[in-house]
Amino acid sequence: MSENKELANTRYALLEALRSEDQTWNTLAPRYGVTNPNPPWKTSLIATCECLAVSGALPVLERRAAEDELAESAYADVPEPERQLLALAHTMLSRGLISESDLSARMRAIRSRLEAV
Amino acid sequence: MSHAHTPGNGGAEHPAAPTVDEITDFEVLEIAVRELAIEHGLFTAEDHRRFTEWAESIGPAAGSRLVAKAWVDPAFKERVLKDAVKACKEIGIDWAEPTGFGTPSDYMNLRVLEDTPTLHHVIVCTLCSCYPRPLLGMSPEWYRTTNYRRRLVRWPRQVLAEFGLVLPPEVEIRVEDSNQKCRFMVLPVRPAGTENWTEEQLAEIVTRDCMIGVALPRPGRTADVHPMHRARRPVGSSRD
Repeated sequence: MSENKELANTRYALLEALRSEDQTWNTLAPRYGVTNPNPPWKTSLIATCECLAVSGALPVLERRAAEDELAESAYADVPEPERQLLALAHTMLSRGLISESDLSARMRAIRSRLEAV
Repeated sequence: MSHAHTPGNGGAEHPAAPTVDEITDFEVLEIAVRELAIEHGLFTAEDHRRFTEWAESIGPAAGSRLVAKAWVDPAFKERVLKDAVKACKEIGIDWAEPTGFGTPSDYMNLRVLEDTPTLHHVIVCTLCSCYPRPLLGMSPEWYRTTNYRRRLVRWPRQVLAEFGLVLPPEVEIRVEDSNQKCRFMVLPVRPAGTENWTEEQLAEIVTRDCMIGVALPRPGRTADVHPMHRARRPVGSSRD
C-alpha cells in the first residue's frame, strides 16, 4: 500500500497540465451537441488496460488499486473516463513502462499527425 | 455562449453531431500511451484490435436474454444455476472469448443468484470493479466508485433506496462481493403482469440494473436511470 501512497504523492508535469485543462468529455460533448455519453477513445483505453493485463505488464488488481488511490488524490477533480486515462498514464510512468519525455514527444507527434490536412 | 458561436451549429437546429470537432489532449494521450506500449513490446497492435472489437460488441442484452429465457424455461434455469458459464453458450455467449481462457478481467467462474419473493441479491466488487462483462457489458461508472463499493456492504438497504429500490423489511438482502475468482449476476423474480409474454418482451424489462440488483423489473420499465452518488456518508450518520 505504501507503494500506492508514493504513487499518489508523485506528480508528472505533463499530466498535471492535462488535468488542469477544461477538455473533458463532460464539457465538450454538450458544447458540440454530442449525445454519446463517452468519448470515442474510451473503448480503446479499455482495450489497452486489458492488453497490459494479459501481457502481465500491469495486472488488473494493481492497476485498479492505483486508479483508486489516484482517484482520491492526484486526479480527484477529474471526471471519468479522463481520470482513468490519467491514472493509467501515471501508473505506467511510475513503473517505468514509459518515460515522460517519450510520452511528451509522442503526444506532440500525434497531434501533428491528427491536425495534418 | 451565443448560438452564432456554437461550433458546427451556426445557430441552426441540427441533429447531434457524431463527435466533437476538436482534438483534445486526452484523445492524443490515449493514442500516445497505446503506441508507446506497442513499441515497447508490452502488447501487439493485433491484441489491441481484438480487445477493442470485443469491448465494442458487449452490452447487457445478453444478460437480459439469459434472464428472460430462464423465466420461461425452467430446465434452462436449472442449467443456469448449476453451471452458468456452460448455460451461457446456449444464448451465444462464450466466456472464453476473446482470449480462449477468459479475458483478464472476467475469469470464467460465474454464479447466477436467484431472487425469491423474500430474498434479494445485489452485487458489488469491494476490491476493484469485477463485473460479469460478457453478459452485462461494461460496468456503469457508479459501480466503480468507492462510494458504492464501500457503502453497499455496510448499508445495503439504504444504498438500494438511493437507487429508488425500497424493499420491505421482511425481504432479506444478500450482497455478493465479486472477486478475482468469481463473477455474479442476479436473476430477479419475474414480475406480475408478464404472463404470456414472449422472451423478447420479457428481455426488454430486464435492464442492466435489474441484473446488478439495484432495480426490479416491471412492465413498462425498459431503461435504467443514472443516479448521482455524491454522498460520502449515509443519511443519519453523525456527519449529516
